[in-house]
Amino acid sequence: MKTKVLMAILALVIAGLIAVPWVASYFYIFIFTEILILGLFAASFNLIFGYTGMLSFGHAAFFGIGSYATALVLIHLEWPFLACLLVSMGAAAVLALVIGFLSVRLNEVYFAMLTLAFGMMVFAIAYQWRSVTNGSDGLAGFTLGSFGLGLDLTLANPSVYYHVVLGIVAIAAIVLYLICRSSFGMILKAIRQNPERVSFAGLNVRTYRLVAFVIAGTFAGLAGGLIAPFLRVASPELLHWSMSAEPILMAILGGTGFFLGPFIGSAAFVLLETWITTYTESWMLVLGIILALMVIFFRKGLLGTAIDWWMEVKK
Amino acid sequence: MKTTSIKKMLVATTAAATLGTAGTSYAEDPIRIGGLYILSGSAATYGEFAQKGINLAVDEINGSGGILGRQVEMVYEDSQGKASVAIQAARKLVYSESVDALVGLDSSGVAQGMVPTMPELQKPLIITHAATPDVTGNLCNPFTYRISVNVAQNMKAAALVAADTDATNWTTIGPDYAFGHQSWEFFGNYLKEIKPDVNLMSETNFPRFGAEDFTPFIDRVMDSDAEGVLISVWGGDLVNFIRQANTRGFFEKDLEVMFTVGAATEVLSALGEEMPEGVHLSTRYWYEAYDNAVNDRFVKAYINAYGTAPSYNAEGAYAAIYAYKNAMETAGTTEGPAVAKALSGMSLEAPNGTVTFREGDHQAMVSPNWGVSGPMHPEHGIRTLTNLQIFNGEEVARTIEETGCKL
Repeated sequence: MKTKVLMAILALVIAGLIAVPWVASYFYIFIFTEILILGLFAASFNLIFGYTGMLSFGHAAFFGIGSYATALVLIHLEWPFLACLLVSMGAAAVLALVIGFLSVRLNEVYFAMLTLAFGMMVFAIAYQWRSVTNGSDGLAGFTLGSFGLGLDLTLANPSVYYHVVLGIVAIAAIVLYLICRSSFGMILKAIRQNPERVSFAGLNVRTYRLVAFVIAGTFAGLAGGLIAPFLRVASPELLHWSMSAEPILMAILGGTGFFLGPFIGSAAFVLLETWITTYTESWMLVLGIILALMVIFFRKGLLGTAIDWWMEVKK
Repeated sequence: MKTTSIKKMLVATTAAATLGTAGTSYAEDPIRIGGLYILSGSAATYGEFAQKGINLAVDEINGSGGILGRQVEMVYEDSQGKASVAIQAARKLVYSESVDALVGLDSSGVAQGMVPTMPELQKPLIITHAATPDVTGNLCNPFTYRISVNVAQNMKAAALVAADTDATNWTTIGPDYAFGHQSWEFFGNYLKEIKPDVNLMSETNFPRFGAEDFTPFIDRVMDSDAEGVLISVWGGDLVNFIRQANTRGFFEKDLEVMFTVGAATEVLSALGEEMPEGVHLSTRYWYEAYDNAVNDRFVKAYINAYGTAPSYNAEGAYAAIYAYKNAMETAGTTEGPAVAKALSGMSLEAPNGTVTFREGDHQAMVSPNWGVSGPMHPEHGIRTLTNLQIFNGEEVARTIEETGCKL
């Protein structure tokens, strides 16, 4: 019964998302595109944070390299969109393998500091390598070509791009979900709860953590590959450590214990930002207050709290 | 919608005034113009001054019947000086706030990112401050115009000023983004052309935009063989820079110092007497440089309303609103493509004289101003400009071929 209701709600949400360009005002196409992309970014982060228990402060490095990869390929090679996304994922995976290899050996705050340090190094490279990355201005002025697979889609049309993003994010979310539900995902959860015990069971914790880190980085790269054509610019802000904070905030806001939590967090984050900045420039202050309240009173995030409440009502 | 309290007051007054003169009907919705400026951080005064100029123009226009019989209303968004933020904000203004036209952009980096997206939005944009040559060059498009001086124009003028000095070894201190790098590039190329024996030093200095500490760069220039230095640091950064340079004795050294946006009144008011005398200062518009009725009225009204001399950013923003008035009335509509088309080749009387948007690249033929800082102004509390040079807008502009713009 419970799963049936949940599935029904999920189906309704997906139907609603598909219908956005026809029912919502034009501007909300952009808002929902951003929500989906940042939701995927946050969900990829939650694989290492919520599931494996590693707090990374450098996740924007993978998001950012994904956006630069797509921008560079569009500018210099003009490949189809899907090929750009594969390059983004590949570049992010390689970077995650290098950073992960050096970072996952450490725990807790040392891991967090090391990922932060690597994140800042990647930012510094993008910021200073003017001939390739165009420095602080970032890469802009690229045009969107074909989609790939022989499909005739006008990606420059915002509603077409929204549906493309919705499809890709949905597929990516399903893959991520299957990974979380697999025996591999179960081991990650076990690592979060008790790494010693997992290692006494004969499993190499470091390898599992590294694989999780690379998978998370790869999906963050995919999200980055989607954001560059959406923003029409790949800029160092996307790699900055403050960008690494966004998936953390979104995951906590939505609920780290649930697969869809980060998506809910992303929706809350982007919608609140849009509405609040209409009235005041101090949106960060309002966000800070909301987050403090969430962490003090609603540890399970929006989704967790809502599910708890629903279960309570059911009784 | 963000409106300043002054704006609200003005709207209230004009609304009251219109009610008084019965018979005029304003049944139609107001024309909405979106403003995208830096409204937070170290360069926020530029956004504020632009808003002041715009409010003045909107008030005048609404007081005399509006545009096409409709009132004008402004909607502002903070670009934060970031391209990604500005692009989203422009989409919000066009699709959510339903603005008919856009003005703004303080940063070259933002302009480079945002301008290529303008044809999608199908609304005209008049850039009032950002100076990168690219947006009226290789990135030009039918919807983008600029009413303010660009880097190429100002650096041509700067090179002419520099060529008149005895300095041969030149270096630069500029913000580490498009504006700083392009200022140096254009200045160097023009100067080399005019005076082939100059030496453009390979040691250049590009501090981060928004950097608090400029002393390492100041020291480096003081320790070098430089005889002339082009400084394109601007905004709050420039205020910090000059204070730090003062304590280091930078201005006592025998250097030709040229500030490419040093005569911005935002900076001059913040510094007062701390701005040294005898340095070359430039601005895109100096309020005492133009002897015409429009300028007299603008300067008087501005000082009356705000108590300070108008800055170039206020002037550009003020003129842009009038440009839209002209274009919308010529086109007879507020439809984006028609208004954009009407702007091409259009001339208007602005505080800095007759301004024409060149058809080939949509760059306004406006005149850069260069002068040397002089004694304090008795009333305005800022340095005066002596040896004022008003360069001819067309003479310092690149040819259409040189811009790389194909329209």
